[in-house]
Amino acid sequence: MINVDQLKKSYDGISYALKGVSFEVAQGEVIGFLGPNGAGKSTTMKILTGFLLPSAGVATIDGLDVVRRSLEVRRRIGYLPESTPLYHEMRVDDYLRFAGRIRGVAGRGLTAAVSRVVSLCGLERVTGKNIIELSKGYKQRVGLAQAMIHHPKVLILDEPTSGLDPNQIVEVRRLVRQLGEEHTVMLSTHILQEVEASCSRIIIISLGELVADGSLDQLVGELEPGALVARVKGPRDTVLSQMRQLLGEEVPIEVDGDTGAFETYRIHLNGNKEYVEDGLAHLIIKNGWSLASLVRERRTLEDVFHSKTLRAQQEAGHA
Amino acid sequence: MRNIWTICRRELRSYFFSPIAYVFGLLFLGITCWYGSQLLRHEGQASMVEFFRLLPQVFIGFLPALTMRLWAEERKTGTLELLLTFPVSIPQIIAGKFFAAMVYLALLLILTLALPVTMAWHGKLDWYSVSVTYFASLLLAAAYVSVGMFWSSITRDQIIAFLLALVTLFALFKTGEFGQSLIGLLPEWLGGDRIALFVLALSPQRYFDSIARGVVDTGDLVFYLCFCAFFLHANALVLYGKRVKG
Repeated sequence: MINVDQLKKSYDGISYALKGVSFEVAQGEVIGFLGPNGAGKSTTMKILTGFLLPSAGVATIDGLDVVRRSLEVRRRIGYLPESTPLYHEMRVDDYLRFAGRIRGVAGRGLTAAVSRVVSLCGLERVTGKNIIELSKGYKQRVGLAQAMIHHPKVLILDEPTSGLDPNQIVEVRRLVRQLGEEHTVMLSTHILQEVEASCSRIIIISLGELVADGSLDQLVGELEPGALVARVKGPRDTVLSQMRQLLGEEVPIEVDGDTGAFETYRIHLNGNKEYVEDGLAHLIIKNGWSLASLVRERRTLEDVFHSKTLRAQQEAGHA
Repeated sequence: MRNIWTICRRELRSYFFSPIAYVFGLLFLGITCWYGSQLLRHEGQASMVEFFRLLPQVFIGFLPALTMRLWAEERKTGTLELLLTFPVSIPQIIAGKFFAAMVYLALLLILTLALPVTMAWHGKLDWYSVSVTYFASLLLAAAYVSVGMFWSSITRDQIIAFLLALVTLFALFKTGEFGQSLIGLLPEWLGGDRIALFVLALSPQRYFDSIARGVVDTGDLVFYLCFCAFFLHANALVLYGKRVKG
């Protein structure tokens, strides 16, 4: 549905905000588009929506070039820019009618479309109000409503939950998941739980380059596994030496806690994905020590984000 | 065409749903009609000549205030980004905004008809000349709106847009006098009177006066058409530039 090939953008002709980004998004996918500030997320979205012209490379939506067939592409897209710009002096229903009309929804279809998005976004109580009187959460919903009034094939949402309170965030997330059932959605955000909650695939860019692309499980799986954490009561030095004997001398183990009580052993298995838990448990029990817990630390999207974007920044720093 | 009308309607709505339309309209009508009624009282004759002498000067002061927000506000609030991603072409958006301003001004001019109607009551009024001059006023307003809109497109600050438009319109207003003063001044090797004639030809006021004399010349219409086209095109170039520079 969205096809981006070697997309480059420079605002000043010298430095590049996008340095050749390529990815594909299939129909019906909900893509979480991540990256640190200034990574080029908004720039990419602005190019896809036809607001900005790329400096090089090609982007197509539904097979149509976003530059050469811009108007047709824009008809297929719903866009919520960062900071949700709206005409504050307009009433909510007037604004939605305008947004529908300008996107080619007319006549009886317009009234139906407005009431559809009003109920989808929970705007029933505020349709008669001026946009300027609305709370930030409602403004955000109006922004979402205008983006989907014409039933677009693709929704591009730039930080749809920034500035919302936790309840509103949950609301918007629920909405995005619901949208993902009918539309192809691409959303950028800084809130990683949001991506875990609503996205089927994750694309991370950093400093204008793509650094990760895959499902959450895939990306987490690519990382080194988390440390194995054992809470053991027993003589520390013997425990350590026995563990090293089993796992290998060079395995780093950190110990934390008071002697005589349960101590926490963090075992960094560095790249070793083998299942060693039962061997370890057996060892502890055989020696008559007590074992309170034995878990492998879960790697999260946060770890993926840090490792991918920091690496890109370090490489840029060294270059 | 439908897109232009959609944009135009939204603009008009935002004129009338904010105090701008009313404050602006009341001030405009107040000044022009008060001045007009003074004329009637002192001169005691039914003539709109003085009114139409004043009108272009009122335009210079008022139209920049009307046009300053057209783009600057959209740039400042970020709605321009959304507007430019709607499936509407840039010329259509420009046309919509331009026509909205013109519809509003035409409405104001219709309201000033109270003045000639009152005059016609008191004495005999030359309705042909009055209607032709109203037509000329609309053309002049169109020219000035295109200038104001252009300046509004280059900045996000409405005050700057206002001042730039004001200065430009004032300079254009003075080109007539400036051109006159150049006649016979420049030596032949510098182009002589051709320069003076060129400067004179740039004055929108000159064509207004020409139509106001009662003869609608094709040349006058072509001038206004080209004048508006020039500034509206420049406006479009600024917006295309936004798509490159962000």
